[in-house]
Amino acid sequence: MLLTGIICGVLLGFVMQRGRFCLTGGFRDMYIAKDNRMFYALLIAIAVQSVGVFALIGAGVFEYSAGQLPILAVVIGSFIFGIGIILSGGCATGTWYRAGEGLIGSWIALAMYMLMSAIMRTGPLGSFTTAAREPVIGTDSIADTFGINVWFLVVPFVALVAFIVYRELKKPKVKIPQLKPKKTGLAHILFEKRWNPFVTAVLIGLIATAAWPLSAATGRVFGLGITAPSANILQFLVSGDIDFINWGVFLVLGIFLGSFFGAKMSGEFRLRVPDTKTCVRSASGGLLMGFGASLAGGCSIGNGLVMTAMMTWSGWIALVFMILGTWTASYFVFVRPAKQRAAASTAVTA
Amino acid sequence: MKKTLEVLGMVCPFPLIEAKEAMKDLSSGDELEVQFDCTQGTESIPRWAAEEGHEVVEYEQLGEAAWTITVKKK
Repeated sequence: MLLTGIICGVLLGFVMQRGRFCLTGGFRDMYIAKDNRMFYALLIAIAVQSVGVFALIGAGVFEYSAGQLPILAVVIGSFIFGIGIILSGGCATGTWYRAGEGLIGSWIALAMYMLMSAIMRTGPLGSFTTAAREPVIGTDSIADTFGINVWFLVVPFVALVAFIVYRELKKPKVKIPQLKPKKTGLAHILFEKRWNPFVTAVLIGLIATAAWPLSAATGRVFGLGITAPSANILQFLVSGDIDFINWGVFLVLGIFLGSFFGAKMSGEFRLRVPDTKTCVRSASGGLLMGFGASLAGGCSIGNGLVMTAMMTWSGWIALVFMILGTWTASYFVFVRPAKQRAAASTAVTA
Repeated sequence: MKKTLEVLGMVCPFPLIEAKEAMKDLSSGDELEVQFDCTQGTESIPRWAAEEGHEVVEYEQLGEAAWTITVKKK
């Protein structure tokens, strides 16, 4: 049964690598490039998953009840996580799949992310995490807060996303130069062609939906999740306690394998060593990601993609603060240095 | 005039940021060749060129995770 985790992960890693599905880049570009395409793609994946999962729950395939909302931990944790993913150059899943592409910088970020996540769970900061997540302000389910059926949230949300997609597709398209195709047929589509981000998003939404019943069948009633499983790997390795091995562990290992396969088959795999500055940045980013995601109870996938689809307060609040975190870090990493360089060059010319 | 920018080892979005910077110093008709190995750049660099209206003169994969793109400033 745990093997379905690997299959789910391989599919996800492959689709994300080929589809260049990068949430960090997406959040960052909303600010530095005024480009919302990847954010809209995320909304599509959320909508697909929301309909799929609530249909499955309605059909009685599994049961799910949202817990309580630890508001402060979610707000602060998500903001810190957002800063972390800019520094490390990829969100939790992004870091897993870039590790599969052979980026040593992502290996460093991943190691630090796993380490900090384990420290925040069963390490010296475990009691801090528990205490910080203790103050709750009522139910996490948005539908329960308003005492309505969840479909009254899902249907308007889907309609909104459909409207956004319609508006985006109507915009005049710029023709983007492509590499000359060297492959044909299925090989071209799978291992060469540029994938439309909206198509990629639908595929991710479907995988995220399938993850729920597959994971629930092994006793883990949740969808895609990255942070806890990443910590679990390290916790297992140092304790030998087999209880740390669950569906999610196979999922994240699958992401790595799927991305490696996609990159290798497309001629996009190579071990790449970054410079010292990038290494330090990746390491600190990984630590902040582990700290933030553990505090918030999820990363850009667990909260940003899954808990949002479940129509919970924590999912949507986390998404907003995560994005604010990426914008804050983007200002210091990209925008301010560019301004300073521009100012310096004007000074020289003058 | 043709300028070559080597951004191997740089991860997204730095290859694009460097390319934008380098482009500022060129005049219309000049060419900028960018050699990069960041996978995400295969999407972001040609998209930027197309949206800015620069012509992509050459765009090729050189080997495993290594690409070159030459953009002519509009």
